[in-house]
Amino acid sequence: MLYRNSIGAVALAAVLATAVTGVRAHDEAKYPDWSGQWLRTGGIQWDPTKPIGRGQQAPLTPEYQAIFEASLADQAVGGVGNDARYSCFPVGMPRLMSVIFPMEFIFAPKITYILFENNMPRRIYTDGRSWPKDPEATFAGYSIGKWIDEDGDGRYDLLEVETRHMKGPRTFEGTGLPLHKDNQTVVKERISLDRSKPDILHDEITTIDHALTRPWTVTKNFRRERNPSWFENDCSEDNHHVSIGKEHYFLSADGYLMPAKKGQAPPDLKYFKQSLN
Amino acid sequence: MQRLITALMSCAFVATSGAVLAHHSFAMFDQENPIELEGVVQEFKFTSPHTFIILQVKQSDGSTQLWSLEGGAPSALARDGWSSKTLKPGDELQLTVEPLRSGAPGGSWAVGRTKFKDGRPIMVTP
Repeated sequence: MLYRNSIGAVALAAVLATAVTGVRAHDEAKYPDWSGQWLRTGGIQWDPTKPIGRGQQAPLTPEYQAIFEASLADQAVGGVGNDARYSCFPVGMPRLMSVIFPMEFIFAPKITYILFENNMPRRIYTDGRSWPKDPEATFAGYSIGKWIDEDGDGRYDLLEVETRHMKGPRTFEGTGLPLHKDNQTVVKERISLDRSKPDILHDEITTIDHALTRPWTVTKNFRRERNPSWFENDCSEDNHHVSIGKEHYFLSADGYLMPAKKGQAPPDLKYFKQSLN
Repeated sequence: MQRLITALMSCAFVATSGAVLAHHSFAMFDQENPIELEGVVQEFKFTSPHTFIILQVKQSDGSTQLWSLEGGAPSALARDGWSSKTLKPGDELQLTVEPLRSGAPGGSWAVGRTKFKDGRPIMVTP
């Protein structure tokens, strides 16, 4: 009896020790301070060091360069080209990281969340998991990350992320700069604070995609706002852009459809009963 | 503390142009051929994803045409001190807008290209 009680006591002690250890598993001192609100420092183009559109000098294949040129031509006459965002269509990865509106990071022991003011959040799994087999694709994709202590000071300073399993269509920016319709995109990121300016965050983003002739790497930079204001920013609240079929229209002040392009025809009303006058 | 900031400041124009703050392309508006508009605010829609000024514009024949003018996101304007109360129905404005390429009464407006018709600055609270 005494022997069994001793074993039970040891077992209980072991369980309690594990529980205490578990509580300490998420040691916040091991993680960098990425608190606050992060705002982009550049424009809305993909590569912030270059002008939007053709100025991006995107390494597109000839096929996708032609698709891009067609998008630009359509936009030049009032259309929306390849950019479906006007109708609140999700932008997905990698375009989410243009951070048109601010973001913030939330660290949990096995997952890092990126919350966006105007988009669904990203989940970056940091629990060492393997890639799932054939998951349902999403616009933001499936992200696995790894924290790295680059300078060996006992504190993580770099988050490496890989994202796969995206669905589309997706573009890099509002000009309709396209990614491939096969949605085999892989996005690799290295996210870290600036070494000398702790209120600047860098995201080195490499996109591997069949619309490109080579991996395309850009670095996005963000500045921290430590006393932020957050606003509700829901694209579906009062969007005046209407998509019918492949056409884009604009709502008038009194709520009727207006053409966006010169000479644009009205939508096909074949399912409406129309009176003969 | 409230302070007056003239909406015509070039830095405000650069920072709060609708195209710069847009989550989508503004190419449907003719940025190469802006036009001048004068009118009366019927409604200032401080809504997502973009603010709208619904403007009553007097025509040469005395009739009134309603213009639908799309601007920056409310969250972006709010960070520059704007609110849903910055413009009110009845306010008389002078704007330089980028019109819809179709010629329909719509276009884009921007802080730096908008002022009261009588020259008063548009008051914001950053």
